[in-house]
Amino acid sequence: MERDIEQLNSALNSVKILRSNVRCVFESVSNGLRADHGEESKESKYILELQELLTIVNNNLRDVENSVGNLTPPPGAFSLGNTTYLSQETTQERQQLYGQLVNSYKWTDKIREYSALAGNMLAANSFNKTYKTYSTTKRRKTQTSNHNVPPEIIENLITSIDRLFTDVTITAKRPFVPNPLIQVALGRVLRAVIAFKGLMIEWVVVKALSEDNDLWTESRYKVFRKVTENCHAAMCHFHSPMMPELAVRSFMHWFHSYITLFSAPCKRCSKHLQSNLPPTWRDLRSLEPYHEECK
Amino acid sequence: MGVTILTQFPVENKTGPQIIELLSKRISALGAVPQGQFLVDCETYSSVPALGHQRTVHVLHNSEQPATVFALLETGTKTIPLATDGLFDLLMMKMSSFYQSKKQTKAESKGPRFEIGDFCVKLGSVTVSSNFKGVLVEVEYKPCVVPAMCWDLIMEFMQGFLGSLGPTTPPSFLQNRMQDIYSPIDTIQQYLEHFTLFRKSPGPALIMRPQ
Ligand SMILES: [Zn+2]
Repeated sequence: MERDIEQLNSALNSVKILRSNVRCVFESVSNGLRADHGEESKESKYILELQELLTIVNNNLRDVENSVGNLTPPPGAFSLGNTTYLSQETTQERQQLYGQLVNSYKWTDKIREYSALAGNMLAANSFNKTYKTYSTTKRRKTQTSNHNVPPEIIENLITSIDRLFTDVTITAKRPFVPNPLIQVALGRVLRAVIAFKGLMIEWVVVKALSEDNDLWTESRYKVFRKVTENCHAAMCHFHSPMMPELAVRSFMHWFHSYITLFSAPCKRCSKHLQSNLPPTWRDLRSLEPYHEECK
Repeated sequence: MGVTILTQFPVENKTGPQIIELLSKRISALGAVPQGQFLVDCETYSSVPALGHQRTVHVLHNSEQPATVFALLETGTKTIPLATDGLFDLLMMKMSSFYQSKKQTKAESKGPRFEIGDFCVKLGSVTVSSNFKGVLVEVEYKPCVVPAMCWDLIMEFMQGFLGSLGPTTPPSFLQNRMQDIYSPIDTIQQYLEHFTLFRKSPGPALIMRPQ
């Protein structure tokens, strides 16, 4: 495929050169004798020039024939599927569609290419903090897409998390959609609104139980705004494109440790308050409570 | 509405304004921002003998819930709390032939109000029928609604500006309600507890911690 295109390109290129040199011949013929041929034996000079030009054209023609000879003829007619009919469209305003289709195809192709590059870069420069080890020997469940999965799979995941913790209540306003929005009440401590993009957690906002469920306004309480911030950090930390379900589970496990938000003192300074806030950070591995200043 | 703890601050030989100023300075030094004034008042009515067994109704207002009137009916065996709207005051006036207000018992706590982080602090100087009786410090931790969860945290906060004079045990009213969801009427009950003690005390209270 790659070689075919290369050859096609070089064939097209030789055609271009041929055409350009043929043009030179015609130009010379149409101009006839010119002042720069001088006075003496101008005819023979002109004929010599014309011969040279024709030799070049001849060589070019040979190049074209060679490169055409190298091309492999396509096995049959190209199947363009339904798009073939688009090119036969007679209505004025729909004639543009084919061009647009081709353009969008090119775009998607580019997006694929760029996202593959970005994927490689991100994999090489992980933004996770240390302690996550990717073992290549462990068999991985290959998931081609994390953001476009059947709603049933997401629903199953959410239900299983709901069953995992007795003091967590999960409600979803519209279950069985590709990108569900769920509310997670953590005992009588707080509530989080979590937006999923397929199997990935896309956004989290933490609020008091008495506040509204709006995803886009932050809590009026400092402590919950701080917890929201930390949830975003944890969401990035636990994110794993290879094991999206595990990522969500790990996040929820970590999030569950906020059940002691008001009651647990800081692991380092043993106090409840630091800058008038309780320990709003939970260690990502040990789940122990720390103040922002103490972690 | 979060968990609120009310505690009395001993006056010793200072005046009310002196104590309020002292505490205002301390809390401001911690970064608190003044946010206006507050007022909690309480009027007590008794049923007339013609109604038989005597009952008492305490009617309280809290500037934090300006549209609400709180009423606590004491039957002798139990206390029935009630949160109603402003019309209840007019109703009490209509019932003046059955329930009569006890003169000289109108109690109120008023003073500056501060906000610091998610805490709200109120420094109230208490008067009973215009006589100064003492100082009440109210601390509300707004994000939390279950007293048991945040009691240690509030205690630490109060000790931060009241020193060793801060509370060390939960208010008696809350002691067997620590696991319940806190509501504004619980604050009112705490105020009533303190007002009742102040009414019984002869002058500015020297010691009187309800615990
Ligand atoms: Zn700490």
